[in-house]
Order: sequence, then structure tokens, then C-alpha cells
Amino acid sequence: MSSAAVIGIGMIPFGKHPDRSIVDMGAEAAFLALKDAGIKPAQVDACFFASGFAARLFGDMTVGQHVFWELGINRVPMVNVENACTSGSTAFYLACNMVNAGQADIVLVAGAEKLYVPELGLINSGETELETQLGLVASAGFALRAIRHMNEFGTTPQQLAQVAVKNRRHGNLNPFAQFREPITVEEVLNSPIIVEPFTRLQCCPNADGAAAAVVCSTSMAKKLSRAVNVEAAILCTGSYENPQDLTHWETDYRACRLAYEKAGIGPKDLDVVECHDAFTISEILHYEALGLCRKGEGGKLVEKGETALGGRIPVNVSGGLLSRGHPVGATGVAQIIEIVTQLRNEAGARQVEGAKVGLAHCMGGDKAADTKSCTIVVLSV
Amino acid sequence: METTVNIPPVVPGIFTLPPYDQIQPKLLGGFCPTCHRYYFPRPKYCRGCLGQTEEISLGSKGVIYSFTVIRRKPPLGLPEPYSVGYVDLEESGLRVFSLLDPAAIAQLRIGLKVRLVVEPLGHDGHGEPRLRPYFTPIMGD
Repeated sequence: MSSAAVIGIGMIPFGKHPDRSIVDMGAEAAFLALKDAGIKPAQVDACFFASGFAARLFGDMTVGQHVFWELGINRVPMVNVENACTSGSTAFYLACNMVNAGQADIVLVAGAEKLYVPELGLINSGETELETQLGLVASAGFALRAIRHMNEFGTTPQQLAQVAVKNRRHGNLNPFAQFREPITVEEVLNSPIIVEPFTRLQCCPNADGAAAAVVCSTSMAKKLSRAVNVEAAILCTGSYENPQDLTHWETDYRACRLAYEKAGIGPKDLDVVECHDAFTISEILHYEALGLCRKGEGGKLVEKGETALGGRIPVNVSGGLLSRGHPVGATGVAQIIEIVTQLRNEAGARQVEGAKVGLAHCMGGDKAADTKSCTIVVLSV
Repeated sequence: METTVNIPPVVPGIFTLPPYDQIQPKLLGGFCPTCHRYYFPRPKYCRGCLGQTEEISLGSKGVIYSFTVIRRKPPLGLPEPYSVGYVDLEESGLRVFSLLDPAAIAQLRIGLKVRLVVEPLGHDGHGEPRLRPYFTPIMGD
């Protein structure tokens, strides 16, 4: 069990923000999180800022110092974090560690990204990587898992599409989500093929956006009624063992097991889950790794509606990456914000009734048929 | 074949060099004589014992474990569409990520036996042509 808590959250709607910079968006999210926590800049002991692409797309370095400068936070330690899609959740993990270690009482975490830029193309792991030179793009890495899952377990294109349909239905209820128009299985399957078997509506959209959270020690949080406890915040890196089983993602299973152990809970204790649905198959694989269903049965789980709002274990009630959009550095924080909002019973139309324990799962980067990073945060009230 | 001889490999040391008109190209990897572990590509150090690895031929044959077809925005001058997959290599048992024959997309399936081809395919980050390895279905499989 961790001795950290979340006492403030803030985010801006994800979508196209052509007139806003990463710093501008990140500072607004951080401002909102400080306001929500009722914390003044001078009370912040340390800051972490996450962005996956600022350096690559804009040549911007140490962006966090610019973001926090806007809020008058200075002198204290600040670290910039890049850990692929888990950049934001890694920053949160580091903040929790710092609080748990007694090195800080209050830590501010912010993640921001600007991905609506011309000629972005399909995201890869960097041009120096052999796999990139051999044509690996992020969507293909998951498509290879999807084709294998369909082959081994009979998972159908309709079941894949149902993940996108469900998450869009959820996103319809989230004012921060980028795409909110409901879609049908037919529309998903008839949208243009990007990477087989994924059509466009099965790939999470790029987005601009920012999200922030204030982490503090549980002793400080005790005085605050809207505080949410961090039961566990873990980070695992791939094993990169060869051969990898593409349908039994060892790193994913290992991270989930570690998070459950640290939090002292099991999958049956969860009321609500946010997971990294970068592509439709991703969510199905994560169901299985999280133990929400048995191996190979993820497609049936979504088909039966068990992961929809009102179902046995609602997953991605925020709309997920598929509907909310994926501003990489902000995503990991936004997932945590959704769980905090649910546990505070402040999620409005998409509230999971009586939610007391929630989990935010994120995953980032491809290497050697494995993931470079998997983070899990377990929260409770 | 003359043009192929003059085009550099996309990454050095991952396959045998041309001419290929008489000799079947082979993938090159690493082997640790202490841990008996195979690697692709060859790492400088064995990740088991940090000893020096030896360059070793990983052969030219394998079986498709999974595959997909990328239908839009091909990077690095690759054809549209192009295909990639994981191939289980016959000799070492390694499961390697690879390009698959863009001319054989319609034939691809899990379990298909394939062999290595090296040809000019796409370019590097500066638009210069490069030799790339890809697997193609073995005739008659």
C-alpha cells in the first residue's frame, strides 16, 4: 500500500487546439489541478512534466520548466519525462514514489501533447531502430496481435468493432472527449482500412491536450474530503524474451499481477477500469491480462456488454483513447483523472454507481515484440 | 544484380551480402557460446552473461507466426500497401519481425512456409535506396 493520495485534477478538452502551444495547454491543466486541490504554487515541493513528442516535433526541451514557470513555481526539483504512451502515468508514478519516500509532501504532475501537426504519419519507435527500418509502425504491432488472436481464439471483426462502439458511446457522455458522435459496428467496419484488420475507427485518434494532477501524502490528504488514495502505482518494462506469445502478453500480465499484489486486491474488487485502448485489440488483450475474463475470451466479454457502463466491470467509461483521443504525454494522466472523478462520484452521466476502487492501465512503445513500458495505478476511496 | 550490389543494406550486418544470383541470402544474427542463446540482430553483448556474441547465420527459412498489411502512409518509401509479420526461423527458433513480400500479400496466412529475399525496397531517412530483407512464400507450400 502506498502513502500517496490525489487531491487535485485538471484537464482541458482533448481535440484540435491549433492556436495553443504545449506550454499553454499544460499550464492551464496544471492551474486547474492546483485550483481543484486548493494548493498555492509555493506549497508545491516538486514537479514532473510528461510529453512524448515535444522534442521530436517541435525541438522543445525541458518543457516542464516553461509550464510550471507560468504558474510561478520555481526553485523546487522539476523533471521532464518521456516514456512513450506511458509518459504521463510514469510522471505520476515518480510523483507517488517521491511522496512515498518522504522526499516531498506535494507534487504536481502535468502531461501535454500537440499531435495535430502536418505530415505526422504513422507513429513509430524512432528511425534508428531496426524494426522501424523494417516497416514497423505502432498500429502494425497491434494488428499482428489482433490477427493472431483471431486465429487462435476465433475473435471476430465484429467483436473488435464493439470495443470502438462501446467507447464512443461512453465518450458521448464525456465533455472532454474529442469524438462524441455515436457509431455503429457497421460504420466501424466500413471505415477505411489502415492496417489489417484495423479500420480507421479502430485506431485511436491523435489529439492535442493536457492533463494534470496533484499528489500528496495521505497524512495531508486526510483533511480533504475529495482526496483519493493511491493503493499502488507500478511500472514494468518488457522482458523482451524471444519468442514472445503475441496473445499472452507476459509483460502485461506481469504488470497487472504486481499491481494487484501491491494494492492487496484482485480483479473482482475493481469497480471501474481505464485501460490503454490504443487499438480495439488492445482493450481485449488488457481485459485478459487484468483477469477480467479468461485468456482468449476478451472478445466475448465486450460482446456481452460486461465492460459497458452499467455492465459487470465498466472499462473506459471516459471514452478511452479511441474516443477521447490520444495526446500521448497527457493520456496517462487523463486516465487517472477519470478514475479519480469516478471515485469522487463526480462523473455525471457516465458515473459508475458506487465506485470505490478503480484502476488505470497504460502501455507504451514497441520493442522486440514486447512493450517498453506498462504502468498501473490502483486508486480507492 | 549490378544495381543490387551497389545499394547498401538498410542496416549493416543483418543479412549476407550480394550477389544473390548463385547463393541464397541468409539472415545474420548473434550467438552466445556460453548461454547458447540466439539473437537477431546480433547484440554486442549477450544479455544473459554480458559475454561477446559470435556472428551466426540464422538461415533463410521460417514459418509465418502472424502478419498484417499496412494500407496507408507507408514510411521510408515502402510500397503501398506493404506487409510485415513475425516469422519463426527454422534453425534457431527465433521469432523475428520482418517485411513480407509486397507482391505476395494475397497469399499470406499464419503457418505459411517462407524464405528470405534481399532486394532494393524503399529508402533510408534521406531518400537513398536501400536493400531490405523480406520473406516470400516458398513455391508449392
